[in-house]
Amino acid sequence: MAERIKDAEDRLLESMFESVPVADDGFSISVVRKLRRRLWLRRLTLPIAAAVGALFAVKPLAGLVTTLAGLSVLVPQNIVSATSNLIPQAQTIALGAVLLAVCLLGLRALEE
Amino acid sequence: MSFGEDHELIARVVSAQDTAAFGELVRRHQSQVRNFLRKLAGDVTLADDLAQDCFIHAWDKLQTFSGRGTFIGWLLKVAYTTFLQSRRKSKRYAEILQEAGTVADLESRNYTVQSDEVPDLDRFLAVLSEEERAIMVMSYACGLSHREISDATSMPVGTVKSVIFRGKQKIRKSFDIKDHQHG
Repeated sequence: MAERIKDAEDRLLESMFESVPVADDGFSISVVRKLRRRLWLRRLTLPIAAAVGALFAVKPLAGLVTTLAGLSVLVPQNIVSATSNLIPQAQTIALGAVLLAVCLLGLRALEE
Repeated sequence: MSFGEDHELIARVVSAQDTAAFGELVRRHQSQVRNFLRKLAGDVTLADDLAQDCFIHAWDKLQTFSGRGTFIGWLLKVAYTTFLQSRRKSKRYAEILQEAGTVADLESRNYTVQSDEVPDLDRFLAVLSEEERAIMVMSYACGLSHREISDATSMPVGTVKSVIFRGKQKIRKSFDIKDHQHG
């Protein structure tokens, strides 16, 4: 209120508006508790959303992988068989990698 | 744990999401925020609920505090916005109830003075409009400057001054207070 000159009326109003300080009485603790709960909920929301999303995505992704596997006829057979011989679980590893990449990208997008 | 000035605490909250530092900010300013909302709402329980919401909003928006004005000025702006939002919601709620044909006793949430037993300040505040009440409380109870009130209410400084002038006139008229400024 430095920008204005106080007159008697201002001083009277100030004294009328003056109030007794309110005791904290656990108010700040309850605000912080509420905040921490919200933060935890937020932290849990991301993994839960990712897990639910992954559940929905498994079926279409499996279909996609099968389709892609069908396209492998276009790849010379000796290369495919060579890969399968070297790594027997190649298909599972490829599916896992795709799912992991999708989850990571999804998490990043959700965070942003 | 030792805590420094407000701006140090704010920096810790913004950079590290430090809830303990924010708790200290709440402890320091809760009294002014709760008093402001109590005068505005005229209901202690409602005001304290709004104060909790206000601090939660403040946590969410703290990175928007530029540090230009005082922290309490910024906090009262958040409190005022929270109050206005709650008013809008309760008005909408009353409209829905009316549309549904239910008699709502929401008027009890409005600022009313029913007897001579209420303190003088409550009688003063009751003659003011919601906007005038908020500005008068910010000015006389919280000691904010016209510039800070202008920031908090998103009104031009000139409008703030005229609202204060109008508020004072109303109080003068209603309570037959001698006009110190003009004789």
